[in-house]
Amino acid sequence: MSTPNAAGNAVADALSPGLKLRKNRRRVWRPLGVIGLVVLVIWILVAVLAPVLAPHDPLAQQSDRFLSPSGAHWFGTDELGRDVLSRVVYGSRVTIPLSLLLVVCSLVIGAVVGAAAGYYGGWLEMLVMRTADLVFAFPAIILAMAVVAALGPDLTNAVLAIVVVSWPSYARVARGLVLSSRNADYVLATRLLGASGRRSLLVDVTPNVAGPILVLATLDVGNAALLLSGLSFLGLGVRPPAAEWGAMVAAGASNFDKWWLGLFPGLAILTLVLAVNFLGDTLRDMLDPRTARAVIQ
Amino acid sequence: MRNVLTWRPRPYLKFVLVRLGALVLLAVGITLVSFILTNLIPGDPAAANLGQRALSDPAIVAAFRHQHGLDQPLPVQYGKYLAGLLHGDFGTSQRSNRPVSDELAEYVPATLELAITAVVVSLVVGVGLGILAATRRNSWLDQLLRVVSLAGVSMPTFWLALAAFFVLFYKLGILPGGGRLDPGLDPPPHVTGLYTVDSLLAGQWDIFGNAVFHLIMPALVLAAYTVGLLTRFTRASMLEVLGNDYIRTAHAKGLPGRTIVFRHVLRPALVPILTVAGLAFGSLLSGTVLVEQIFSWNGIGQYAYQSALNLDLPAIMGVSLVVAVIYVTVNFVVDLLYGVVDPRVRLQ
Amino acid sequence: MSLTRRRAIQLALSAGALLATEAACGKTNKGTTDSGGTKNTTLIVENSFDLTTADPGRVYEVTGGMVAHAMYEPLLTFAGGDVSKPVPLLAKSFEASADGKVLTLKLDETAKFSDGSAVTADDVVFSFNRVKNVKGNPSFLLDGVTVTASDPQTVVLTSAKANPALPYLLPTPALGIVNSKVAKAQGAVDAEGADKSDKAEAWFNANSAGSGPYTLQSFSTTTEVVLVANDKYWGTKPVYTKIVVRNVTNSVQKLDVVKDTSQLALDLSPDQAKDLGAAVTVDRASTTTTFFLFTNMNPAISPVTSNPKFQEAVRYGLDYAGIMSLAGEGAVQAPGMVPDKLLGALAAGDSLKRDLDRAKAALAASGYSGQEIPMEYPSDITKNGIDFGVLAQKVQAGLTEVGIKVKLSPAPVATALPNYRDGKEKLGLWLWGADYPDPSDYLAFLPGGLVGLRAGWKAGTSPDLTAIGDQAAIETDATKRASLYQDMQRKLNEVGPFMPLFQSAQISVMAKSVSNFVYNAVWTVDFGALK
Repeated sequence: MSTPNAAGNAVADALSPGLKLRKNRRRVWRPLGVIGLVVLVIWILVAVLAPVLAPHDPLAQQSDRFLSPSGAHWFGTDELGRDVLSRVVYGSRVTIPLSLLLVVCSLVIGAVVGAAAGYYGGWLEMLVMRTADLVFAFPAIILAMAVVAALGPDLTNAVLAIVVVSWPSYARVARGLVLSSRNADYVLATRLLGASGRRSLLVDVTPNVAGPILVLATLDVGNAALLLSGLSFLGLGVRPPAAEWGAMVAAGASNFDKWWLGLFPGLAILTLVLAVNFLGDTLRDMLDPRTARAVIQ
Repeated sequence: MRNVLTWRPRPYLKFVLVRLGALVLLAVGITLVSFILTNLIPGDPAAANLGQRALSDPAIVAAFRHQHGLDQPLPVQYGKYLAGLLHGDFGTSQRSNRPVSDELAEYVPATLELAITAVVVSLVVGVGLGILAATRRNSWLDQLLRVVSLAGVSMPTFWLALAAFFVLFYKLGILPGGGRLDPGLDPPPHVTGLYTVDSLLAGQWDIFGNAVFHLIMPALVLAAYTVGLLTRFTRASMLEVLGNDYIRTAHAKGLPGRTIVFRHVLRPALVPILTVAGLAFGSLLSGTVLVEQIFSWNGIGQYAYQSALNLDLPAIMGVSLVVAVIYVTVNFVVDLLYGVVDPRVRLQ
Repeated sequence: MSLTRRRAIQLALSAGALLATEAACGKTNKGTTDSGGTKNTTLIVENSFDLTTADPGRVYEVTGGMVAHAMYEPLLTFAGGDVSKPVPLLAKSFEASADGKVLTLKLDETAKFSDGSAVTADDVVFSFNRVKNVKGNPSFLLDGVTVTASDPQTVVLTSAKANPALPYLLPTPALGIVNSKVAKAQGAVDAEGADKSDKAEAWFNANSAGSGPYTLQSFSTTTEVVLVANDKYWGTKPVYTKIVVRNVTNSVQKLDVVKDTSQLALDLSPDQAKDLGAAVTVDRASTTTTFFLFTNMNPAISPVTSNPKFQEAVRYGLDYAGIMSLAGEGAVQAPGMVPDKLLGALAAGDSLKRDLDRAKAALAASGYSGQEIPMEYPSDITKNGIDFGVLAQKVQAGLTEVGIKVKLSPAPVATALPNYRDGKEKLGLWLWGADYPDPSDYLAFLPGGLVGLRAGWKAGTSPDLTAIGDQAAIETDATKRASLYQDMQRKLNEVGPFMPLFQSAQISVMAKSVSNFVYNAVWTVDFGALK
């Protein structure tokens, strides 16, 4: 390892502090993790049951515009007389599956590319890591904006844009982890026993890398949701008239005194991301033996 | 114990040279990606910059394309851009017809002022809270800080900006709404472009106060995410060090807790913290696009947004390049700091 | 600022003799926030910038026009908001020849530039030729027009064809007169090839050389433009000594003007302008910007939208009432493309009403089988607070009721406009702002015209409409012109692909301290006239 990659290694370390390959699941009651899980399950239920839960058609321009919250419209109505509550409910059908999809795509691409780079080294590693550097240094949102501007505002384009900017963090972590386990005794042993490179990568290395990557992915679902709604806020995400939280906050931004337009979709983003982060944080603690057994005072 | 005099410069020189080489490659890569991307876009820069009538007049469109060199083959365009770059020429904005370097000189300091303030706030608050949480592990305070820091990283910045704006400016009126100075105030004489620094240099205390006043809200909003991030990482990385045998030894020796925390724990824990702070600075730079829009802060975030929408290629390349160079430089400095903080890095 | 001086200014203002006090005070007035309730001599104006340049030879945007108008006076102008009649400014008189081809203008010999030198016919020739030859956005204004100076005080404009619209075109900010000596010294070129040889734009973005009531102090396309009173101004001196035009989004403009952080906000949306309270004055006026929808006439682009029955279904199926509720108070439903302030506009009674039965019947007759039709619109344009995205959703909802499935297809202008220009959009939602307040600007909507082609409407497809247009273009008698343009629009509404929706409302919100505000469709606001 040459020093120029110190930052890259440190990123891997920093993103998964103290992650060790040994799993030490201690059954400890963790209130934040439980809260996160409950809220997340609620949101998933909302997304699945949206047609049942939403009191109105999220697209129907049926009421007066800008009605403040009332018994008929709990979250008020928007600039086209649509029910904000129904739109928040339906918005979950955009943000939740897409955030997951985003993370899965970035994870698969990043992990495969990064693991291969770490395992095989050489020009492949050079190419992958320099590309990752490039994407890291490239201002993410500008890249995303350029992709979206290129292809027109549309969710698939926004997703594509975010995948383009988010795979490198997985690649780096995966590479770092593969590097550290490649030379572990048991891997060397299988290689000496005649296993092929690909086999040892799949059979011996993957299980040890999977846990930390999974934790990173959980924590990243929140980031994906934030980035996605940020692009939508800028008008580069969802195609109207579909309901999406970031775009709804943008409508609230141009009609300031109608606080209900921006408040509720914003809270929706916050609670979803917070739930995911509570969960991810707890998972990380559970996977992390060193911090778990740290002795303090 | 960790004496700066034990620095060995030679590996550092090589380190610096390798990094500089990487930076040049990166610059080429960044401009190439921007260039290809912008040219792949089916849009037409002329459409974004010419009026509806002018756009239908082939002579005017041709004049526009000629003026901006768009009538030349793509490799020639790119080659000319690179050649200009060697002389510090970032090209001319298609939108405003001004040199991109002039525009960057106008917008970059505004964003830097905001981002630096946010990073300083994040470091002070985030590291402080992280130490607090680590030393009182599993106490109610630790749990509270965990919730607070997770809330910080979960907060949609644009929404927080909006909420802060609504409450602090519109409802309560305790902070100014937008811009870098009150309207009608003249900016201080241009030296660095940072209003706070320039006003101090010129001895204009009222302008300084006003500039700081205007910085508070956007900087705090921007810092929310990084404070959360740094609190989490400081805590985690402190805990990791606290688990080491030598800390137990220090405890056994009877050293006071404060000494252990600051001398034996914080220092090794700083490496990942610094890394994250460096990365956070990069994310702040590009993250400002959401905040700048709400606070009428004319920085590179707004500039990048406008340029991307207008397909203003020289501007897109210029702003990407500047952000990338700042990002790489900050992380480079962070890497250099490793040597100060952690001697093991120096030995490699 | 000392109390006595503040009081002195107050007195001077009420006496209408600010000039004397200003001279006495010197230029030390920084105009910071004033708690004493006296008139501030700095006016802070907030606007969402669409600014690209302050060069009068190239300026064409709304913000640019407003700023340039304060610095560069044109030969003819409009009084207040009345754009139906050009009146003298730098030219004290003008006369058109009987055939409508020659316009002769006599300059006012008292007119002076900001450096004190006199405005001459040479300056006019230079300014106009430069506009033509730098090949910028406003160059088309003088297409086919030759400028000559018959003596130092007389300018002759000769057009190839009868050009009755020319006097209406001269007040445009881009046709403001530049001090040619100063401009030439800064690299300005008026000869052919100026698009390559003219080097003065940067200078014009930092300085000014006109005869208007203000001169340029500083200019930024994104932050603010600062104008200061021209102390050598030859006309009535302006009341405000400094104008700061700031770039601010409209939601913030609203807060600022209500809190008196600014004194004039120009971009509030109709919704934002509701319930502003008693601290501000709201001025609503209809603009010359017409929002419209078109269905592409070219069967190769879409066999569906080019079907006349489908067009009928769209025309009568649009929810005009709902759209007008978005357009807000002050906006008017557009009976035709020509805005109501201009000669030849249709009367309000001619505007279309929704007829769902007729629309559904027409749709059934068109053979439309429920396929999705993309409707393109520029997603990054907000004009007079009307967001295209919101409007598009309203249009979509109305058409859904008829049974037409519309898929919204937003794109930034840079991507959407080339598609529109090339006539590739099946359904398009756009706006047309009058380039100058004369109906001849709307000949572009005829078959083979600039906008006609964008809607896939080729020349020769409607000969009688073309004939009306040709005649209207050269008719010099005002009454006959008006009736020809009205005929043209009725026919357009019958057979054309355009569905005019509304003229948006300019909503200007100002502090009570500001008076004498009049919205002008060409330059928005005349800073020199504000009190």
